[in-house]
Amino acid sequence: MKIKNFFNNLFSYTPPNHYEFSIIDSTSTKNSSSFDTISEENDTKIYPSLSVNLEYMKTKYNVLINSDIILREFTLNARGKQYNAFIFYIDGMIDSEIMDKFILEPLMLRNKNNTFDGSQNKVISEAVANNITVRKVKKFDLASYVMNCLMPQNSVEQVSEFKKAISGINSGNCALFIDTLNIAFDIEVKGFKQRSVDKPENEIVIKGPHEAFVENIRTNTSLIRRIVNNENLIIENIEIGDITRTKCGLVYINNLTNSDLVAEVKYRLNNLSIDSLLSSGQLEQLISNSNDLGVPQILSTERPDRTSHYLLEGRVVVLVNGSPYALIMPAILKDFLASPDDKNMKTLFANFIKGIRLLATLITILLPGLYISICNFHQELLPTELLYSILSFRETVPFPMILEILLLEISFELIREAGLRVPSPIGPTISIVGALVLGQAAVSAGIVSPILIIVVAITGIASFAIPDYSFGFHIRIFRFLFLFLGYVAGFFGIGIGILVYLSFLVEIKSFGVPYTASIAPFENVPGSSYYLPPIWKREYRSSFVNPQKVKKQDKISMQWKLH
Amino acid sequence: MANSKITVPEAIALVLTVFVAHSIISMPQDILATTKSSTLINLTYVAVIALLIGILIYKLIKNFPSCDIIDISEYLGGKVFKTIIGFIFMFYFIFSSSVIIRNFSEGLKEIFYPMTNIVFILLAFAITCCITNRFEFSTNIKVNLILMPIILISILFLFTSNIQNFSLRRVLPILGDGIYSTFITGLGNLGAFGGIVILYFLPPFLKEPEKLKKITIASIFIGTVYLFLCVGTLLFMFSYLDQIEELLPLYSASRYIEFGTFLQRLESVFLLIWVLEIACYLSIFTKLSSLILKKMCNCNDSRPFAYITSVLVFSISVLPANNAIAGLMESMVYKYLVFAIVFFLGISILLLANIKKRRTLNVSNK
Amino acid sequence: MSQISNILKKIFILIIIIVFMIGFSYSYKALSIDNVAFLIALGIDSSDNNNYQFTFQFTKPISSGESGSSEAPPSIDYIVNASSIGSGINLLNAHIGKEINLSHCKLVVISEELARKGIYKEIYTLTNDIELRPSSNIVISKCSANYYITNSKPVFENLLPNYYETFPNSSEFTGYNVKTNIGDFFDSLVCTSREPYAILGGINSESANASTSINSQKDVNEKANSSPVEGNVNSDNSGMAVFKNDVLVGELNSLETLCFLTVQNKVDHFLISVPNPDEKNAYVDIYMTPDIAPKIDVKIVNGTPYIKVKLKFEGNIYSVAKNTNYLDNSILNKLSENCNSYLESNISNCLYKTSKNFKSDINGFGFYARDDFLTLNDYKNYNWNYKYKDAVFDITVESNVKSSFLLNQT
Repeated sequence: MKIKNFFNNLFSYTPPNHYEFSIIDSTSTKNSSSFDTISEENDTKIYPSLSVNLEYMKTKYNVLINSDIILREFTLNARGKQYNAFIFYIDGMIDSEIMDKFILEPLMLRNKNNTFDGSQNKVISEAVANNITVRKVKKFDLASYVMNCLMPQNSVEQVSEFKKAISGINSGNCALFIDTLNIAFDIEVKGFKQRSVDKPENEIVIKGPHEAFVENIRTNTSLIRRIVNNENLIIENIEIGDITRTKCGLVYINNLTNSDLVAEVKYRLNNLSIDSLLSSGQLEQLISNSNDLGVPQILSTERPDRTSHYLLEGRVVVLVNGSPYALIMPAILKDFLASPDDKNMKTLFANFIKGIRLLATLITILLPGLYISICNFHQELLPTELLYSILSFRETVPFPMILEILLLEISFELIREAGLRVPSPIGPTISIVGALVLGQAAVSAGIVSPILIIVVAITGIASFAIPDYSFGFHIRIFRFLFLFLGYVAGFFGIGIGILVYLSFLVEIKSFGVPYTASIAPFENVPGSSYYLPPIWKREYRSSFVNPQKVKKQDKISMQWKLH
Repeated sequence: MANSKITVPEAIALVLTVFVAHSIISMPQDILATTKSSTLINLTYVAVIALLIGILIYKLIKNFPSCDIIDISEYLGGKVFKTIIGFIFMFYFIFSSSVIIRNFSEGLKEIFYPMTNIVFILLAFAITCCITNRFEFSTNIKVNLILMPIILISILFLFTSNIQNFSLRRVLPILGDGIYSTFITGLGNLGAFGGIVILYFLPPFLKEPEKLKKITIASIFIGTVYLFLCVGTLLFMFSYLDQIEELLPLYSASRYIEFGTFLQRLESVFLLIWVLEIACYLSIFTKLSSLILKKMCNCNDSRPFAYITSVLVFSISVLPANNAIAGLMESMVYKYLVFAIVFFLGISILLLANIKKRRTLNVSNK
Repeated sequence: MSQISNILKKIFILIIIIVFMIGFSYSYKALSIDNVAFLIALGIDSSDNNNYQFTFQFTKPISSGESGSSEAPPSIDYIVNASSIGSGINLLNAHIGKEINLSHCKLVVISEELARKGIYKEIYTLTNDIELRPSSNIVISKCSANYYITNSKPVFENLLPNYYETFPNSSEFTGYNVKTNIGDFFDSLVCTSREPYAILGGINSESANASTSINSQKDVNEKANSSPVEGNVNSDNSGMAVFKNDVLVGELNSLETLCFLTVQNKVDHFLISVPNPDEKNAYVDIYMTPDIAPKIDVKIVNGTPYIKVKLKFEGNIYSVAKNTNYLDNSILNKLSENCNSYLESNISNCLYKTSKNFKSDINGFGFYARDDFLTLNDYKNYNWNYKYKDAVFDITVESNVKSSFLLNQT
């Protein structure tokens, strides 16, 4: 029976159990005018009725799903009368001490100012005619009373349109709405954390900002909010892990990102039955489609400007409390070879550097394999002088070439790993001295040939030029596969290896998007290829994420040139 | 699924794969042997005929939207006829793949791996084919699209770097062996346009089916330019190809490339590129056979058939006893198969189906 | 069950890897760079009983650790007597520990004696060889191939293969020797419109002259047995060897080689000595550069080929005398006419020598003759190679001596 079962299982057909998801082209909502910016609608005036204002603000900010918007309703005392009021602010952007002491306290608690009896009216002028006395009395103006007498706050402004109130809230102020008044107060209470954030450790750029995420999720969200600066930025709160209930934030721009993509990410996040989630690296592995080949399918970054750039392209970001890395999804092959500095430089320089990076990737993965296959099978490719140099250097080396190259590659990996753990004051010195001395001594002792040291050193340096750490790691591992193939079967083996590797890469889907998205299938949108076009040509967002708003720049974005 | 539809560049690259794969082996040499120095005139003439055939196929097949030739043959003659036609096309695909890899492996073995048994090289190809067929069809097509520009550039490079060795006078006398040989016997060179067979299977996969005409014209045009480059390289460089048969003639042309004393003997680089192309061709044709099998057996997944087709390809490629028989199969048998199956059989099925459809429409109108 | 199938999958993959390592192992063991000796020159002489005497030349790499030494590495020569190239290589393989590889062979030397008997077998075998480069130079040596190879020493180059690769380059700027390789030789051998030719070589100290006079008028008394150049030169490669099919039928000296190369448009600039119109018995050196490609026209008139060649040159005066104005039109015109007559007579002599004496169309005029035929059959029936001996040549040279270089008037 067991043998029969065994053969049954060996030759039977099992349907594929890979998870299928694709982002559907949501054409119905693709309408450029559907993007509801404040500037497009008519300037709505603030209503005198508090409940109407409350409903308006709640809808505008999607308070039900937005987790860091705070609405505080209270009763305001003025001149002995009580009015309903509420203040509206974003958590993490304000200084709560100021808010409590200088806004809520004077308005809510009874004090000399607000218990003043308002029954005595101030008489402006009096006129008597025909035994009738007519007095002109100054009417009680609540707005100016609150502004002038009740709020000891250094910067208060009266606004009569929602547009101004909302922009104040977005920048870190709070807005005070009072019943019966058709104005609101825009009060300065900014208190978000600034610059205790540090420089990024691993993603250093020349021309961009030097802020990086920190461990606290509120600080991270405030960093993103300040850059995006728009009320349609949604940050949903999701808790993951049965024991730790780690707070994670799902960030996206409401009317821009494809809703299927958001739903899919939310579905995956909500359906993880694990005990604890301690870092974003763990989460990355838990929600990736497949872990074939170790290819990273989610981009992780510690820079808020890079995160905001991808948010504005229509992607979804997940922040994990306790981890300074944001996860960006979906991520395709060309994202892992892009640096955050590319858009800050002129196009010519950016494309040159991109070409260098592509070359570096090819060198890292192919150079050792090509070298050994040329020396083993295709010596006619070498110029004669180089051939004789290699022969003369190999005279003294006792090992066969494959062993020599493996020895050097593994020593290089050892040095790299050891360099991470050496105590910092002597770290750089040791690695330089170690590399130099080791290389020199090995050549003098006749253990390895100098040409091979150059090959391995160039491969190592090229691997450092790859911007993304996980992608670089993946490439470093696969160069051993090509080394083996080159040794066994020369260029034929390498050709077969390239084809199979490329097929695997093309097959992978990151959140429904093919991994080699803009290259194959070929997308004819300027700005979607690997190389950047000039800034005035970057009109469209990439179509593989199917955003709701495709155009991001007018045809003539530099309007000043027209006049 | 939306993701597995083919766009226009991918479809063009699919058709071009066939041109490229056969021209690496011995197609240009066969063309030159048939028409000698009047090859360029003959190629123009044959290309025009191939274009007309392509347009005819488009006009006939567009009456059956999203149907490939297997579906049309089912419409024409029921399930039995569909099975027969399916087997014929499957045989054609597997045979041409086996012949290609056999001839290429012979070349590889003679030139680069003289001490390896050819079975291992064929086994490597068969295993690659098996692995790539386990992916979806769209994956194979996308890989093909990524590799096609590299291959086209390589042949352009081969042509331009050999210009110093060209002698343009080898094109004279202009009529070669005579008018009869150029225009009548030279019709045999239509066998170079076997890539048209892909057009029979494209319609269900296309994202924009109305672009089939554009795909037909563009692919035949680019294929002709490519053939011109290959044949031109050989015609202008060697004056003896009509008398002497060479193994992999394009390889011989690549041995002459020289840039000073530094860059010489670049033929190994060409080998790398050609291995990629042949393996791509193999994976696409065997995937097409798997898809035909899937249609015939009414399954919903073509992946298990990958094992069957790769075993078949391997066993047929091991069959020829020596290089001579393998070469004969490529130069003679393949050409006749193209005429019989691609042109004659395919077009007749389409014609008969169109006639049947028109009759049923007339009957229903009455 | 799925665990077993996983383990089985892994075992299967391991088996495939092992199978491939075994299958390809002969190749990577045998072809590895450590197990191969690279031949750099091959010499073929004829020996008794229809056998050959092969000379195989290798060079040893300088085994220095870090810096290259300035001495030339030694060359290692072997002589093998065998009945064919393949068996010769095989015999040598049995004696040295490494396998011989021809992929860096830059020179093939065939002795004159063997060439006169016919060398089609050797050429076909060498072209059939996968490793041999089609760009290897082919030399017909007036001495034995063995003597030529063992006495060739590079002077300005460190490595012998570099010397073998670059020594014919002087044909582009002097025109006194040709640059041809085995691929071209094979192509001309098989082609019906052209005959092959090869580099003519010899060793300086050899009594049989490797080169004859260079400037016939001036150096006619210096037609010595040895080359006019003495010093550190070992091998002397002036002139060219002319073949009809695969048999050596004659040689052209340096001046005739120059004429041949001008018709082929393969020389960038060259120096000629023409009589000075002002002084008697004095000569002026003029540096000539081809202006446009030669116009060659071949017509079949009454069954015989009538070949018309039009050449156009520009000249600059190199040797400058006292009290001469080189901007004077009359002087320049006279010089131009002298150049024309000099070149016309020499080119005509050279072409008639190839057609009447050697009966061999090394210039490839057969390609131009194809214009007159519609089909290949007509051309084949005409039998160009036979009819070439009756060819009539009409050479026209137009030279325009413009000025001298820096000094225009003395």
